[in-house]
Amino acid sequence: MKAVTANRLIDGEVVFWKEGAWVDGFGDAQLFDDAQGEEVEAAVAAGKAAPTVIVDPYPIDLITVEGLGLAPVSYRERIRALGPTNELLHGKQAEGGAVVEAIRHASGAARSTGRVDLIRRK
Amino acid sequence: MYQYDVIDREFLTDRSNEFRHQVTRRLAGDLTEDQFKPLRLMNGLYLQLHAYMLRVAIPYGSLNSRQARRLAWIARTYDKGYGHMTTRQNIQFNWIKLKDAPDILDALAEVDLHAIQTSGNCIRNTTADPYAGATAEEIDDPRVWSEVIRQWSTLHPEFSYLPRKFKIAITGALTDRAAVKVHDIGLILRRARDGSLGFEVIVGGGQGRTPYVGPTIKHHLPASSLLSYLEAVLRVYNRHGRRDNIYKARIKILVAALGAEEFGRQVEEEWAKIDQSRADLGDQELARIRGAFAQTPFETLPARSEAFEAAKAASPSLARFARNNVKAHKKPGYAIVEVSLKAVGQTPGDATADQLDVVADLAERYSLDDLRVTHAQNLVLPHVKLDDLPAVHAALEAAGLATANIDLISDIIACPGLDYCALANARAIPIAQDIAKTFADPDRAETIGELKIKISGCINACGHHHVAHIGILGVDKKGEEFYQLSLGGSGAEDASIGKILGPALAADRVAPAIDTLVDTYLAARQGEERFLDTYRRVGLEPFKEAVYAQAD
Repeated sequence: MKAVTANRLIDGEVVFWKEGAWVDGFGDAQLFDDAQGEEVEAAVAAGKAAPTVIVDPYPIDLITVEGLGLAPVSYRERIRALGPTNELLHGKQAEGGAVVEAIRHASGAARSTGRVDLIRRK
Repeated sequence: MYQYDVIDREFLTDRSNEFRHQVTRRLAGDLTEDQFKPLRLMNGLYLQLHAYMLRVAIPYGSLNSRQARRLAWIARTYDKGYGHMTTRQNIQFNWIKLKDAPDILDALAEVDLHAIQTSGNCIRNTTADPYAGATAEEIDDPRVWSEVIRQWSTLHPEFSYLPRKFKIAITGALTDRAAVKVHDIGLILRRARDGSLGFEVIVGGGQGRTPYVGPTIKHHLPASSLLSYLEAVLRVYNRHGRRDNIYKARIKILVAALGAEEFGRQVEEEWAKIDQSRADLGDQELARIRGAFAQTPFETLPARSEAFEAAKAASPSLARFARNNVKAHKKPGYAIVEVSLKAVGQTPGDATADQLDVVADLAERYSLDDLRVTHAQNLVLPHVKLDDLPAVHAALEAAGLATANIDLISDIIACPGLDYCALANARAIPIAQDIAKTFADPDRAETIGELKIKISGCINACGHHHVAHIGILGVDKKGEEFYQLSLGGSGAEDASIGKILGPALAADRVAPAIDTLVDTYLAARQGEERFLDTYRRVGLEPFKEAVYAQAD
């Protein structure tokens, strides 16, 4: 699965593509499956065609978090979708909810150690 | 401290208005992002992971209370209530909106602050000993020369498009609190045998991907020739520095490629062509700038304060604070007070708006309206009367700012890392917090003694990991955060680059590994040795064996 993300020009906020618009929450992002490569490209192109709205649109890979939902596969993208891990009330994570929990429990690529809870604070 | 004049102020107002116009044009679509990005960077505005980040210059780390209160107000009004002190004595705000940036620059300009040259391939904010004007060790006040460089280098047309960024640091004391040997240019004020004032000039130090302790290319540059000589150094660099490869563009690569001797020779050749009567500062102008720093109204006081001694005897926490955070002042009856921004659980270098206000009040009331930021991400009240130390300590304690750990194991430098920074590979802050928690016992920390841990979230080394007694570098290993430890670095007068201990460790193994390193050191320590001394005596192997044997 994939989503398309960018930063909003006017305030730098992390945003996600949703059917022709840019929304704040990862939970509202439009999801593309592997067969929808052209739609992903179209969303990125739409972002590039709106340079007064957003900066630097790009697609991100998603993974399924067992029983919880979807999360970005890269921890960098998970931090973007949540907010900084040193201030848990800053950024999008402040709202809480199921989407935030799913991202917090994602174990990402986890190829080398199988470690989970990569960005949850101890 | 130096006071801006009419020219300085008009200049800042013009600059702020110009940036407002540029932002308007960007939002209207008249400038593309590619066109706008270098313009915003010239005003210290980066686009990071969650928002824009504004880096505000604090020239040589020196603030008055009005400026500190304005920074607090900006943190409260435009950020989420925090300011982050950087390893270049600047302050960063992590949650800035582009639309607010011009208003913030206006608010800064009102108190003689700005964000000019806090980014870009230009001469950045010159850093200096945060004890300047307060330490008895000082041969001359480095702020005078930092201010000379600030005025000379600000929007200098010849040096606004260098091959890469350019950082200068100055110390007037032999104890180096400004890391001068790992800067593009490091300047150490010295007196020659005949008493004349001069600089030892170190060129081509640096950290990042290719760390170097800089070589000295001139042992005694007459102080009055500083600007012409800097011009010659910059000119040689501007001409020959590599612009084809960003990783080889810093002056350190050029100096290493040519050799210090040849580089120095080319600088001398260039210097001889410069009309020094034009390039160097006249005596009158130098005296004007020097005068701004010479007027500190110290009182004549006894060297010992009975009030302080009595309070110290009655309060173990004040006694601990005095042992670790209070440093000798050049004037009898005064002390230099370090304010740690490294409480257990805190983000290293972060101060809340309320804390900034408290420190501003203390600076105004007790420290001759003077406040400093250190490159170790702490604050300094440089001129506190010994009599006032109990009151200052109590006020700091009430604000959560009395952590007595300066230069101890929990006084950790950490860059913002992947929690904020678009360049980072791994987080730095949670690692620092883990280590601080592991060594939260203040008695144990004092037993361990001076131990400088520095963490960077990527190879750019904003967290100075190369020059840490224990350096920690975050790396992305197959999609996960791993941390490479190095030992034996120093950014002080005994500068050295750390050596890599072994394979990188997973995040949850870093603090236990530090614990093992400390145990190994304590077992091997002789006499009063610091960790660094023991490491230099016994070498890497015992530490390596201890950490990696445990892993097997």
